[in-house]
Parts: sequence; C-alpha cells; structure tokens
Amino acid sequence: MNNQSRLSRKAYGCLGLLAILFAAPRVASAEAFPAPVIRQAYNQWARALCLVTFSQELTDPRSGESRRREGTALGLLVRSDGLVITHGHLQTDTSRITDARIRLESDGKTDELPAVVLGKPDDLNLLFLQAQAPEKKTFPAVSFADVPLQLGDPVLVLGRMSETVDYVPGVVLDHIAAVVDTPRTAYCLAGGLKMGFLSGPVLNIRGEVVGVTGIELSEEEGGGLYSRSGVPMVFQTALLAPYIASPPRSGAGEPKVSGEEAWLGVFTQPLKPEFAAYWGLPEAGGLIVSTVVPDSPAAQAGIQPGDIIKSFDGKPQRATQDREVLNFSRLVRDTGPGKTVRIELLRNGQPLTLEVTLTTRPQSAQDAEEYEENVLGLTVRELTRDIRIALNIAEDVQGVIVRRVASGSPAQAAKMRPGVIIMAVGDYTVTNLEEYRQAIEKLRETRPAEVPLFARVGSATGFFRVRPRW
Amino acid sequence: MNQRFLFLPRLGCRLACAGLVFGVLAGCATLGQPERAVLRAREQVSPALVHIRPVKEVFQTGKRTEMLAVGSGFIISPDGYVVTNEHVAGDSTSVQCVLSDNRELDAQVVGADPDTDIAVLKLQGDAPFPYVKWGRSDTVQAGQVALAFGSPHGLSRSVSMGIISMTDRNLDDEGASPAPYNNFIQTDAAINPGNSGGPLVNIRGEVIGVNARMLRGAENVGFAIPADIARAVVEAIIRDGRVRRSYFGFELQEMTARSIDPGKRGVLIAGVDRFSPAAEVDIRPGDVLTAVNGIPVNARWREDLPAVRRLMAELPVGEPARLTIERNGEQRDVDVVPEEKTAARGKQEAFEAWGLSVAEVTQEVARRAQLPRPAGVLVIGVSPGAPAGWAGLQPGDIILTMDGETVVDFAVFRKLYDQRIQENRRQIMLFVQRGALTRFVLINLEQAPAEQEEARGHE
Repeated sequence: MNNQSRLSRKAYGCLGLLAILFAAPRVASAEAFPAPVIRQAYNQWARALCLVTFSQELTDPRSGESRRREGTALGLLVRSDGLVITHGHLQTDTSRITDARIRLESDGKTDELPAVVLGKPDDLNLLFLQAQAPEKKTFPAVSFADVPLQLGDPVLVLGRMSETVDYVPGVVLDHIAAVVDTPRTAYCLAGGLKMGFLSGPVLNIRGEVVGVTGIELSEEEGGGLYSRSGVPMVFQTALLAPYIASPPRSGAGEPKVSGEEAWLGVFTQPLKPEFAAYWGLPEAGGLIVSTVVPDSPAAQAGIQPGDIIKSFDGKPQRATQDREVLNFSRLVRDTGPGKTVRIELLRNGQPLTLEVTLTTRPQSAQDAEEYEENVLGLTVRELTRDIRIALNIAEDVQGVIVRRVASGSPAQAAKMRPGVIIMAVGDYTVTNLEEYRQAIEKLRETRPAEVPLFARVGSATGFFRVRPRW
Repeated sequence: MNQRFLFLPRLGCRLACAGLVFGVLAGCATLGQPERAVLRAREQVSPALVHIRPVKEVFQTGKRTEMLAVGSGFIISPDGYVVTNEHVAGDSTSVQCVLSDNRELDAQVVGADPDTDIAVLKLQGDAPFPYVKWGRSDTVQAGQVALAFGSPHGLSRSVSMGIISMTDRNLDDEGASPAPYNNFIQTDAAINPGNSGGPLVNIRGEVIGVNARMLRGAENVGFAIPADIARAVVEAIIRDGRVRRSYFGFELQEMTARSIDPGKRGVLIAGVDRFSPAAEVDIRPGDVLTAVNGIPVNARWREDLPAVRRLMAELPVGEPARLTIERNGEQRDVDVVPEEKTAARGKQEAFEAWGLSVAEVTQEVARRAQLPRPAGVLVIGVSPGAPAGWAGLQPGDIILTMDGETVVDFAVFRKLYDQRIQENRRQIMLFVQRGALTRFVLINLEQAPAEQEEARGHE
C-alpha cells in the first residue's frame, strides 16, 4: 500500500531504543525442576491435553481476501464437563473457525467429539470450546491453583509436540522473565513458545497448575487494552478462574444474552503514593477517574475526571497498583445492573458522596451481531461502545463497521476495507445493523447499477461507489 | 511513424526517441543530432545543479537531534535562489550546497511548503550564479523525452534519460504524503533516493518538473511536481516566505466517487470540518459544489481535483466567496468567508529537562485526534530513561492540562514549562488525551523509576 517513498535519504534511528527499556531484567532461574516433579506433572496432567481440529477461514485485513485451511491446535480440558481452552488467535477479526472437533486419548483409545465454539473473554486471548459428548462423560481436566508467580520463578509448560512426532505430549522448562504491571499484572516467559504449547498448563516448582500460556492479540489483530503481542505470557489462575466458572457465551452468531453485568462507565487509575502526595492527600489508595464515558451512569451522576473513588457500594477502594484496577472493574460488573450504589469520592480533596444507578454493560465488539451479505460482499457489525473507544469514534457518528470484505466482491473492487464505517447506503441512512440489512434488501428489489456508500475512514468521510453484480 | 521504432534494438530506442522529438522540434533529423540535443540540454542544466546536504532538526526522540540528509536542487536566478523539495530542506537548521564546479556554499532556507513539497533556498556567495530556465508543464505530453538531474543515492551531478510516461498522475490518496494541490508528471527516467528536488528537464533544457517521488519496488516509475505549480509556489515563497491559502473546511471528492453518470456536474463534498467556515453555512457531506463566484467548477475524475483545490485555496483569505451548492437537485448560493489555512505540521520543540518533545496541535492534528478544536500540545517524542517516559507518556498523547492549568496552545505549554524549571518544581501533573481516553500522568523528577529498575536488576 504505502510503497511510495520520498527521495531524500533519511536516517531513521533511535525509535528502537524505547524497546530496549522494556526489555526484561536478566534473572536466571535460581532453582531447577527436579526430574521427579516433571514426570509427576506429566503423568497427572498430560491426559487433559487434547487436540482441537478445525476448519479456519482467514481474511487478509488489507485485501479482504479469504482463504480456508484445516488446522490443529492444542486444547486444554479445564472442566470435567468438557470445557476446553485453546489459543485465541484462532478466533479474531480476521479468523473464524468452524467444524471444531476435540480429539483425546483415554485408556489407549482415541475419541473424537464435535465441539461448540463458545467465544473469548474480552480481556483474555483464549478461545473457549465445549466438547459435545453423546452421553454424559467425565473428562480429565486440570485443576488450577491460585498461587502468585514471581520474577525468576522456574515454570514447567505442558503441551503437544508437532505433527511429525504424532502430537505426543511433551514438556518445556522456562522461567518468568519479566513481570509487567500495566495495565494489569502479566507474566512474560523467557523462551519462544512452540505452537503446541500455546494454551498449555503452566506449573510451578511445587507441581501446582498456576495458569496457562498465551499470546495477546496485537492492536492490528483487534487486541485491546491488554495487547502485548508477540510475547509469550502466562495467564495466571486469577485471570482464568472466573471464565472457567462462567465461560463466555458469544460466538457462532448468537448474540450474548446481556443483562447480568453492571456498568458504571468510567476508566480509572490507581491512586499511587506519588499521586496522593502530589494532591496533598493523607493516604494513597483509591481509584482516580481518568475518563468518564459520555451518557454513562457515571456521567449522569456527575462523576468527573480527577475524582477519586474511595468507596463503592460500601466497599472501600484502596488500589495503589495498576493491577488492582481490574478488581474494581470486576466488582462493578458483579454488582448487578439496576442497583443504586453509593460512591464516596474525593473531589479537589473534599469528600463527596454520589448515588449512581448502574446500567447493563454495553455490548462488546466480540458479542456484537454480524451481518454478511452478498450484494456488495461485506460483513458488517454494530458499532459497539468498545469499538468506539478503541477507534476513537465520536458518539455522533452512527453506522456499522466493516469487518470483512469478500474476496473478488464489488466492495473489494471499490477499495473498501475492514474498519470502514458505513453511514449511508445509497439514499438510506444506516445507523445500525437492522437498517443496513433493510438497505441491502431495498437494493435487492431495485437492483441499481451502482450504489454510493457514504462512509468514514479514520477521521475523514467520503464516498465509495460500488457496482453490484446482479 | 511509431512503427519505425518497433524494429529498433532496445538500447537504441531512447536515443532514437529523443531524435524524433528533437527532429520534429528542430525540423531536421540526421544521425548524431539526438545525442547532440541531449548534450546541449545537459550543458544548459548542469552548471545550475546543486547537491544539497541539509542538517535537519529531529525531535522524535524526546530531545533535539540533528540528522544529515542528501538531496538535489537547481538554481533558478543569477542571485542564487535554489529550488528543492520541502522534504529535503524543510525543518533544517543549516543547508550546505555543493555547486557543479565543486564550490561549497551555505544556503539559507527562504521558505518551504509541505503541501506541494517545494522549498526555496538562497545561496550565500558571490553572484551571479548559473541558472536554469523554467519551461511550461501544461504543454508536456506523454512520450516526450525527459532528463532527470540530481544526486541519486548521493552521487552528485548525475543525469538520466527517459520519456514522460504520464502527465497527470494523481497520488493524493496514496500513502502518508498527500499532494492535494498537484498531480504528478510520471517519467521512466531513472529517479532514485537523492534525486529529490532535482529538475526534470525537456530536450531543450527547460525545467518541466521537480523530481519528488518514486514508486518503491517498481522500476523507472518516478514522479515530478509539474513546473507550472512549482513555479507559482516558488514565487510566493520568494515574495512572502510562504504560501497563503484559503481554508473553507471541506474535503472534496471526484463526482465519479458517487456516480458514473456523466450528466452530473460539479465537485462532490466528501466531508466538512466541524466549526469551519463551510460548516457555518450548513454545507454538508454529499452536497455538490457547482460554481465558485459564478464560475462553474467540475471534477469528474480524481485528476481534476487539484485544480479545483488550487482555485479555492487561491481565493483571498477573509473575503466572502460565493459558492453554489447543489443538494437534492436544488441549487443555492452561499457566501463563505474563508480563513487562512494553517500548516498541517506545527512548531516542534524539545523540553529536555523532562525528556519530552512536543508539537503544536494544528487544525490537522486536532482533526485526526477527533478534537473539536485545536487544544493542548502533541507529544512527538519521549527520551528513553527520562522522567516523561517513566511517567508513561507516549508519542501521540495530547497534553490538555498541566498542574490543573489548561494548556491552551504551544506558547502556553512553553510558558508553564519555563515557570516550572525556574521554580525547580519536582512533580508535574499532566492530564492527557490518548485516543478516546484521558488519563493523569505524573512527571516525577525526584525518583525516576529508572533507578529503581536498575537497582532491582543488579541485586
């Protein structure tokens, strides 16, 4: 795309320097895994490692071209009813899997079962699947221990080797190379992970399963706030456990049944000691409101950026570190939509109590409904609030967002690409998925030779002329 | 006539081509003359050729650094005005020029125009200088012979030859360097990095373009800014030091972006900036501009847009212009008072005590950041290991307030910074916009976490 260059010779240096700063401190693992611990772990948990086979449709984000491939990935049984996790790159904006099946060996025979793709949590790049057993079946699943990890801890990762060695289970030794604090606590592994070890269980030196491995999505791939793409990480038990208890239920085109998660509509930062000192507050701990989402319960209650939340629904808030912000988010979610809560805060150092009625958490991009049509060749989605925030789209922009452009389609010929926001199709204004659907239906009836789409690309607006093939 | 050349060996083709053109122009075509014509053109241009080595100021790392660039240019007057590209000589502190007789002279940047990628330098030395003649670009035709002069990859005094491949190539929506006001002359005369700012010349030795771009990964696909446009910009820069343009606040698109129907005349309005003169008179995206001060305007194809944009830009700032706008088949006239168009790229400066460099938030920056109006300053660089970096500030952040005081613009930011340096303030609280979100950032000069991190690493 951007293959045009200006002709002066420039030295692009220095930018790489930033990366060096974030490099991990060199800490060698102090202890080594004793062989008996490794063998014990293997004997105990290798049974929970299954294979996920699937058919994958990949879309090139630039050209919109799609291709299909068959694939195999490691799956980890995390619940005895057949709940499986696998690595999240299988299900992204540009990749969809279908025909998922779970293959597992038990007592010397291989079982293959169909599986339903459940979806991914918003904040964890892991895909959840549910194996469908014909009759009630108890699966061998790992059980997790919520044990903290530390810099330098040696860890053992279980996974499956490559196809050339028949995907036999194997082990890899590694250590926690770095601990990252923002925007939540994350543990980086030192080594490069082989594919067969992604979503594999991570064990500490005492043989406890303390998390699974994973790689976040980059921002281009649709990763959000947590994106630390390319770095193999450990998703610790604390992050996983809620989703094992209550797996995401999106996917397969079924919109999530909303209504169970509450929403306040603020982004917060922890009140670190130096922030408290700067504002002359007697003690650190609390949540600084950094952003108030327009039209949210927080905005309606008059919460402002700079307010410091000291107590929420009677529960004191003492966050001083970035990772504790997530606990607050969870507390809000679990409080229950419709509930009126008391929020005690400090504004300019003065205490203030506000009452806020929480609403239902808005639909997220992953839960948003999609509509695929073959008139223009586009798959579009509702503009959810998280997409608005991720792409910095103002509230007054109404439309649907292009997620995929079918290969060879009229839309592709008109140079449309994922990320474009469609605001009108011909004479029909489009503010939501239903209106887009209706506009396409109108086109089917009237069969115009060309259709101008009014759209937004980044901060600019303009027209695309698409010529449907009738 | 062209058939003759089908049978010519490849190598001879270009010379023969030159011969044809020269022959037609001079009225005689004997062997040996093509080469003579090329030599004559070279003799006219070469003495005026300038090898340019600007020292550019760069702020991308959170401090002010200098960077050496290489480009080309040409002298256009006996008193030593030199034309080159803005991307060669813009943002430079000093420019060293090497003339064709190997004289090394310093030059001063008279002015630079990023919108057309043209810059003008003035040589500091003994006049008179040899200079080239401007030709006209509006009569240039595809197929005509062209010579490119300059310093490809820094190799000065090089000349290459080819033909004009296309006369009005629109590159406006390609890549990150828009060219709103001009199409390009495309040539297959070899153009390489370092040729930037050098002249594209016809067989008579007249400048028909300023070499500016190439297609990376392609061979012999080079682009020059047409001489007519370059010349007007150069004259404005010499006269005023800059190019003044009117700003209406709408973005234009070709009519065929909406319909291929040849009966539809005018120019499509693609977008309207908030709070702009156009927004004030309720011009909306989808409207069609059909006339400016009674003169019909038309842009059926993309190539037609630069001429309309130039027409609009050249209307006097502050004086009402009558625009005829069509909406749903109905026409209406509106009087719009254009503002002066501000530079897309504003002032840049490093604030090294904090390890931070910032740029002015121009209209363009504000538009991209979805700010309703310019406000604050834009972070463009953060020094590794400096307080701003450890506070978590990132390039792209827009600093909105400092210690609770609104950072209205660049000047206010500098004033607030200077105050804090004078008072030796150790903690500075910033409120910044990052994408759609805002956050608080505390610059703490007391305890850089860098030191803590060091300590942890060495325990």
